Parts: sequence; C-alpha cells; structure tokens
Amino acid sequence: MIITMKDTETREISAKIDELHEERGEAALGRVLTLLISTNETELEHDLEIANNASREHPCRVIAIAPSSRKANPEDEEHPTFLDAEIRFGSDAGAGEIIVLRPRGGLIRHADTLVIPLLVPDTPVVAWWPNEAPANLSKDLLGSMASSRITDAMHSSNPQRTMDDLRRNRSSKDVDMSWTRLTVWRAMIASMLDQPPHLPVSNVRVTGQKDYLPLDLLAAWLRLRLNVPVMIEEDPDATAVTGVYLTRGDGVLSLERPSTDDGFAVISVPGQSPQTISVPARTLEECLSEELGRLYPDEIYNEVVSRGLELVKPRQ
Amino acid sequence: MSRMSETVSTASNAAGAWTNPLRDPRDLRLPRIAGPCSIVIFGVTGDLSRKKLLPAIYDLANRGLLPPSFGLTGFARRDWTEDHFKDFVKENVQEHCRTPFKESTWKQLAAGIRFVQGTFDDPKAFERLSETVAELDRDRGTRGNHAFYMSVPPRAFPQVSRQLADCGLAKSDKGAWRRVIIEKPFGHDLASAKELDRVVSEVFDPSSVFRIDHYLGKETVQNILALRFANAMYEPIWNNNYVDHVQITMAEDIGVAGRAGYYDGIGAARDIIQNHLLQLMALTTMEEPVSFSAADLTAEKTKVLSAVRLPKDLAAHTARGQYAAGWQGSHEVVGYLDEKGIDPNSTTETYAAIRLDIDTRRWAGVPFYLRTGKRLGKRVTEIAVVFKRAPHLPFESTATKELGKNAIVIRVQPDEGVTMRFGAKVPGGTSMEVRDVSMDFGYGRSFTESSPEAYERLILDVLLGDPPLFPTTEEVNLSWKILDPIEEFWSTLGQPQPYRSGTWGPEEAVEMLARDGHRWRMP
Repeated sequence: MIITMKDTETREISAKIDELHEERGEAALGRVLTLLISTNETELEHDLEIANNASREHPCRVIAIAPSSRKANPEDEEHPTFLDAEIRFGSDAGAGEIIVLRPRGGLIRHADTLVIPLLVPDTPVVAWWPNEAPANLSKDLLGSMASSRITDAMHSSNPQRTMDDLRRNRSSKDVDMSWTRLTVWRAMIASMLDQPPHLPVSNVRVTGQKDYLPLDLLAAWLRLRLNVPVMIEEDPDATAVTGVYLTRGDGVLSLERPSTDDGFAVISVPGQSPQTISVPARTLEECLSEELGRLYPDEIYNEVVSRGLELVKPRQ
Repeated sequence: MSRMSETVSTASNAAGAWTNPLRDPRDLRLPRIAGPCSIVIFGVTGDLSRKKLLPAIYDLANRGLLPPSFGLTGFARRDWTEDHFKDFVKENVQEHCRTPFKESTWKQLAAGIRFVQGTFDDPKAFERLSETVAELDRDRGTRGNHAFYMSVPPRAFPQVSRQLADCGLAKSDKGAWRRVIIEKPFGHDLASAKELDRVVSEVFDPSSVFRIDHYLGKETVQNILALRFANAMYEPIWNNNYVDHVQITMAEDIGVAGRAGYYDGIGAARDIIQNHLLQLMALTTMEEPVSFSAADLTAEKTKVLSAVRLPKDLAAHTARGQYAAGWQGSHEVVGYLDEKGIDPNSTTETYAAIRLDIDTRRWAGVPFYLRTGKRLGKRVTEIAVVFKRAPHLPFESTATKELGKNAIVIRVQPDEGVTMRFGAKVPGGTSMEVRDVSMDFGYGRSFTESSPEAYERLILDVLLGDPPLFPTTEEVNLSWKILDPIEEFWSTLGQPQPYRSGTWGPEEAVEMLARDGHRWRMP
C-alpha cells in the first residue's frame, strides 16, 4: 500500500502512520530501529528495494529523504519550500514500514527536524548514504543524530576523495560498505590460518581491480594484523578482489576468485589439493543486513582506516 | 596501539599458545567457519536425517559456514550408487532447506558427498567406510577430522561404536579429531544410560561425545539465558519471594504416528520430560553461571538438577494418561490402543505430569509442574513463571475479581517470544475495575523472519568442537535419577487414565494441580 501525501506536514504523516497501525492491528513496537536513507530521486527506488530486503531480517522503520525537483505552481515564488511525502505499508515495505520525504527549498537544510518526530521512540537510529556522503558525518544534520552511520564510498562520484574525507573526519560510529564487502574474504583467510601448521606469515600479496577500496582495506587489515609487508597488485581485468597470497615457511597459501560471475573461489594450501568453494559476490542487501545486525562501533575497521591504510597506501 | 603488538607477539610464540593473528575478540563480524572436516551419517535415510540433518548441512554450506574441504558420507543399507544418493540428498534438501536453494552451493557440496552401502554387522562395510573417509582426507583435504552422526536406534550404538573402533575410525592421529553425535534417548533409566555411556566412551573419548538435545539449539531456549542474565528487571523477582509456581509444558497435537515401535514401553515421561523439560527447567532455575563456557554452564545446571526433590506422595503429585479416540481439531483420530503397532493392552502413558521441588534458598517452596503429552489441544512448548498475588490490594475486592496472577511466559514454539501478563484498569465505568492484559514480544517481529534451525547451530558447534549446548553425562544421569522413582511407581499402577484426543489431558492432572490450589494454564 502506498499513500501519497502532497505538500504535507510531519504532523500529518505521523497521524497517518498511527491511523494505519490502528487500522491494521499492528504496533510500531516491533520495529527495532529507524533507518534513515539520504539519497536522491533517481536512486530512491533502488535504495528502498535494498532496505526492504534487509528489513526482512531487521524489521525497521525506513525514512528516506530525497529532495524533490517538483515544480510548484508557476505563479508561486521562484524558490518554493514544501514537503511531499509517501507512506508505504505491507507488501510495498518488506517487513517494516517506509516513509519517503521529498523536501524542497529551505526544508532541505532542516532535514533533522523533519525526521525527529517520525523516529521510532527509544530505538537506535542508523543513517545510510547509499551514494554521495557528506564530508563530515558527525557534523551532518542526519549524521549527528544517528548512532551508526553507513556510507558507501564506492558508489559516490569520487570514491577516493570520499574515503579521504571519511578518514579525515572519522568517528567510531562510522563504517563504510567497502569494509562490509570484505567480511567473507576476511573470514576465509582467517580460517585458512586457523589450520596447522601455525607458521608465521612472512609477506602478503593481494590482487584486484585498480583503485578498488575494498582491496586497499583488505591489504591494510592484513598489514595491521600480521605486521608484515603487504603488496597490492592491480589486475587490469578484475572487477573486485581476485586473490590473496600469504607466504609462509612451508610455501604460499592462496585464496583466488578469478571472476565474480561464476562465484567460485579456490583455496590452495601447501601439501593439500586445491579446494573450490562457492563465494558469490556479496549483494548490497547482505551488506546492509550485516550492518543492521551489528550496531556497536567496529574498532577493527577504525584501526584499519586510521592506521592501516596509511601503511599500505601512503598519501601522496 | 599496544594491544596490536601484543597480539602479534603472542602469535609468534610457542606453538602451544598460538593464536590466529587475524582473529580478534573485538572483530565480531567474522563468522566461525568450521575447519576442514567431514560428517558421516548412520541412518541417513531416516526421517530425522531427511527432514533436519541434510537440510541443515546444506543451509550451513549456503551461509558459508562450512569449509571448502568438507565431506558428507551417508551409510545405509540401501543398494544405491553414489549418484542415487546424491539425488536423494538433493531432493530432501530442496524440499526442506530454510535458505534458498542455489545450484552453485549444491554443486560445491555435492562434490564432497559419498555413499557407503552396508549393514552395521558387516565389517567389510566399515572397511569401505574407512577407505571412503581416507579418500576424503586425500582428495578433499578433510585432514582426518571426522564426525559420526548416529541417527540410529540406541540399540545399534554398541555395534556401530565397536565397528568404528575395529576399523580404526574411532581414534585419530595427533592434531585431528573424531567426534560422535548421539541423539536421545540416552537410555531408558539410569542403569541403561550408564551402560550406554560406558559402551560409547570405551570407543570415544568422553569429550568427543556430543549428545544432541535439539531444544538447546533453539534460539528461544538460548534466549532464556539472555532474558535472565542480560537484564536487570527479571532476576530480582526470579525467586520464591515472588514466584508462586512454574509450569513447563510441551504439548503435541500428533499421535504416536510412525514411532509406535519406539514409543510403546517408553512413554511420554522418558521421551520428553527426562531430556527436554528437565533441561528447560534447569535453564530457568539455575544460578548465574560465571561464564557461558561449557564447564560453567554445566556446573550450574548440574547443581540445580541435583537439588531437585521428588514429592513424597507420588500418587498425589504425578499424573498419567493415555489418549482415547476423539476429534483432533477437525479430524477424527483413533485412541492410542488402536494405533497400528501398539499392544492393545499397553500401559504406556502418552501424557505425563509431575511436580518437582528444588531445595535451594532461591526456590524452596515453589512447585514446578512439568507436563507433556500427545494428542493434546495444540502444538505448543512454553515455560510459564506465575507470580504471587500482590500482598495487599488497595481495591474493593470486587474490583480485582477478574484479575489473575501475573505471569511471564517464555514461548519456545511455535511463535517464539515472551508474553507478560498483568492487570490493567478497564476503561470507563464509575468504579475501578482491573482485568488481565498481555504484553507481547515476538521474535519474528523484532528480529528476523527466519532464524537458523536448531540443528544448524548444533551441527556447526560439533564441527567447531564447541560443547556448551550439549548435555553432559552427568546431567543425563541426574535426570534419570529424578525420573526413575516416578517410572517405578507408575509401573505398579496398571492402565493410565484415558483422555479424549484434542483435549488438555486426563482429569487426574487437573486434580493433581487442584490439590495444590493451582490450575493448568491454557497455552
């Protein structure tokens, strides 16, 4: 069910939601968090679909803010200020409920007060920037009221610059999806080292797409944890991380995924026949779901961006 | 950061103290993935294997929690080829898996599937099994780590264990592990439980024996620990100052169905109370463990189970019943004695209710009522902690006429969650009137639509060698010590009281609670 409310007020939206809850015999109490999505009109539907799927695992109230480009009546003033909204319930909203806010004019500069009356009471607020992120999350109006902040530098217009900004202004509440995309790789590498013989690793090589943030983060993590030289090798044909090679006294342990299309990775360990494992590329839903599943500060990520990256990719 | 360098330096320490430098307790994102290993299932064509074990293994693979070096070997009598068996596994996985069926996951899993045809009395079959497992070590890199799942009747345990020992599979080389997983029933009384334990531990190291009580793998059961020990507001009232009595119920709506051969002579108490209900009671009543490690949890559960006291007058404080013909909901069903495969003179109970007391300062004087049965009103498992009435009610007595006792109900299945019942003012009217209302937490609503099956968690724990959720020998023995005198008394009684199918059990059970001034909840 989608209810469109043109030129409305937050009070009306709030009342409408209460009315819908009552009508449908639902309670807002089941919602464990509020997810704020700061996006734009073109990306809105795509982002909502992802939030919808993630909400199946973490029933939440989604509030998406996408500034409107709707023209008011031509005779109106040149810079009109108004708020359009949409409420989505039931099959149009996964396991939660969705509020889309389309502010225009001066309201855009007051996104926080638009959202405050609509938050689920006494539950965490998570903010997600699926594409462009503000340079300083803790100073951002939405960012400052969130207890967790998720960015996706890779989907911004300039990933490298976005990451640099995020690092410069980082806080323990922030995390970038480039890190989330690595969880499966990190887990597989860690379990490779779990197995005997427990020899020290002497150096590491990682391969993948050029200027690919997750690759840099992976290298930084390995550099920090293993305290050995880590080389980043760019693979011109790659579209993701393609391989990790750990050199030990007994030979090279490797994890390779030449292509994300068929989604198979090969693990080779000295003295063992290589083993294939299915590792499909992670979807954005899975990444968002992982982030919503953990709302505590990720200290490891913090160390990786604050100290690790500098070690593997010194700033020019 | 200094913590960092510490981790690295410990990593390069002597092999005994080795810690993986890539693992950090603060890194909660990293899932626990089992190391290279294989699992051998005896009785792989059985119901449990088809509906629970095989789908759980697939779901684990699909969640990326199984290693690339993983083998699954089925052992069964049927004259199948490996391809037959793979088709059989695929069929059952597709029918029962929880996560979506993906061809890529399946292809990967199927590459490690083997089948060994044979019977338990055939040493040659076990030789073939031994070769198959060695082949998995060689070609799949399972590195000598193997778990044996005994999804077979307990009378087959000794034979299978012996065969495994004889073909050298029960013991492993240094650095590799062998584990055995056994399903209830762990014996039918204390003596047989000890005998079973002796037989299995002759062959396997006691720390390699994992007894599965699938209830302990359920999220809601683990949530009992979270509810009690992560919150401030329940523990202060979790004692005999406030608790009036506790009712633990596991009701089934089905009859004995295909389990007639096993069930007759065993009965409801041995089948359910001895394991599931006593474990639920232990988790509800134990003191706070020092940590959630296996040793600390077991210590507390053992303590509370050893403090259980049986009623002096067993006739007054226990009840049994047997379902008679009737209408189960909307369809007609036969009585227990008319079921196929049941002795028409059977005195086996299909309903059992017992009262237990716990002799500790916390619980002295609080009766615990445990009941279970087949063909009851509906399928439900719950723990209801019922509180005493408020010591003084500043209302007219008429105002609280409809007010019951407060209760916290932990719903284990279905519709997992927690309900709280308390009194609230009825709106309007000229006088104050208080009536019961319910406040509800539903797992599915606040968290996820589909949480992992108990078997996924438990199988993964076995492969990781993580034992907190498995009952120990001592817990099993203590449970039998509680139940044996009751069974002995019941065996002198003759026919259990019949109850109409689809109702909440025999009259005897109602009277048993009435004697204490209580009433069974209607779950």
